[in-house]
Amino acid sequence: MHYRGLLGVIVTAAALSASAGAYAFDESKYPDLKGMWRGTGGNKWTPAGQKAPLTPEYQAIYEANLADQAAGGHGTDPTYTCLPPGMPRQMNVYEPMEVVVTAGTTHLLMEHIHDSRRIYTDGRDWPEELETAFRGHSIGKWIDEDGDGRYDVLEVETRGMKGPRSFDSTGLPLHEDNQTIVKERIYLDKANPNLLHNEITTIDHALTRPWTVMKNYRRAQTKEPIWWRESICAENNPHVRIGKDDYFVSFDGYLMPVRKDQAPPDLKYFKQTRK
Amino acid sequence: MSMKREFTAALVGAAALIATSAAVAHHSTAMFDQENPVELVGVVKEFKFTNPHTFVLLEVKGTDGSATIWTLEGGTPSSLTRDGWTNKSIKPGDEIKMKIAPLRSGAPGGSWSAEHTHFPDGKPIVLAP
Repeated sequence: MHYRGLLGVIVTAAALSASAGAYAFDESKYPDLKGMWRGTGGNKWTPAGQKAPLTPEYQAIYEANLADQAAGGHGTDPTYTCLPPGMPRQMNVYEPMEVVVTAGTTHLLMEHIHDSRRIYTDGRDWPEELETAFRGHSIGKWIDEDGDGRYDVLEVETRGMKGPRSFDSTGLPLHEDNQTIVKERIYLDKANPNLLHNEITTIDHALTRPWTVMKNYRRAQTKEPIWWRESICAENNPHVRIGKDDYFVSFDGYLMPVRKDQAPPDLKYFKQTRK
Repeated sequence: MSMKREFTAALVGAAALIATSAAVAHHSTAMFDQENPVELVGVVKEFKFTNPHTFVLLEVKGTDGSATIWTLEGGTPSSLTRDGWTNKSIKPGDEIKMKIAPLRSGAPGGSWSAEHTHFPDGKPIVLAP
């Protein structure tokens, strides 16, 4: 009896060991991406000294947008009503980011308006149909580029985005057909492990060519435990769009105009009594 | 009704204001007239330390004695915290001086920044960390 009981324990232990191996995750094979990462270099997508390679059609849309913003509107920047920035714009990392690497997914957890991303690294392929999302869907692959037995680059492709989206708050537009593809190479700086690079290439019909920009993130240096904020856009956003017009809500809950001589909204669905 | 009010506000013809990066992130601040800032001196009615914008509600007395409450939108709590601010940095009843970028419509609203907000004697609200 005693011998059979011992055999049972050995068999059970072996089974557990086998199943644990299927989920084994060797953290030592991945770069150390723990902590809080902050965006650097400002929030404009176009690097200094460059011009966005917009098609003539979308350059005209962009310029009309700038004129609208200068008059008090928001142009082609859609996020003022709390729409998420989506890809690729959310990789400006407006507010801090945490990177969590797991066996089948690398998570980018964003403090800003919950723009978190999942980058699937489980070897899946693109399906025939994708339900679209502002952040799209991302498939990635960890690469050991220098052959030292550790992964150093995460290559990512993102598809299946929905709009409206712009590259940044200047309203730099992406095409309304939402056929954007975003490719990224994410890696730590070789000389500075607290600097994370993201080479982001956007392929979009608003552009004359694939457009690559570099975004860099710095790891916050602190010995204190990190407390992450809850950044909810809808908490206290005063910007309202009614029809095709923008308004600003005052402290006491009334609509204010944003443009000079702006008319109030059309109240056609309200029963209006004569005073 | 005219949106023009007589208030203790000076059109400051100084250098244009530059919006804080966090505010620019959420959306463009081009709707506020950064090129023609306005100086306001008034009493804090409320300081909302909220997302996606912090707000200062500032009561400004007009030359005719009437009071106007300005709705002033600022950066996120996260960005202000990096400048050393907390939700207690200014309190109802505090008198402060602000250089703000007003709404282009002339309505009593605009954007504010920590950099251009001081006590009336010029002292900073928060010493830089």
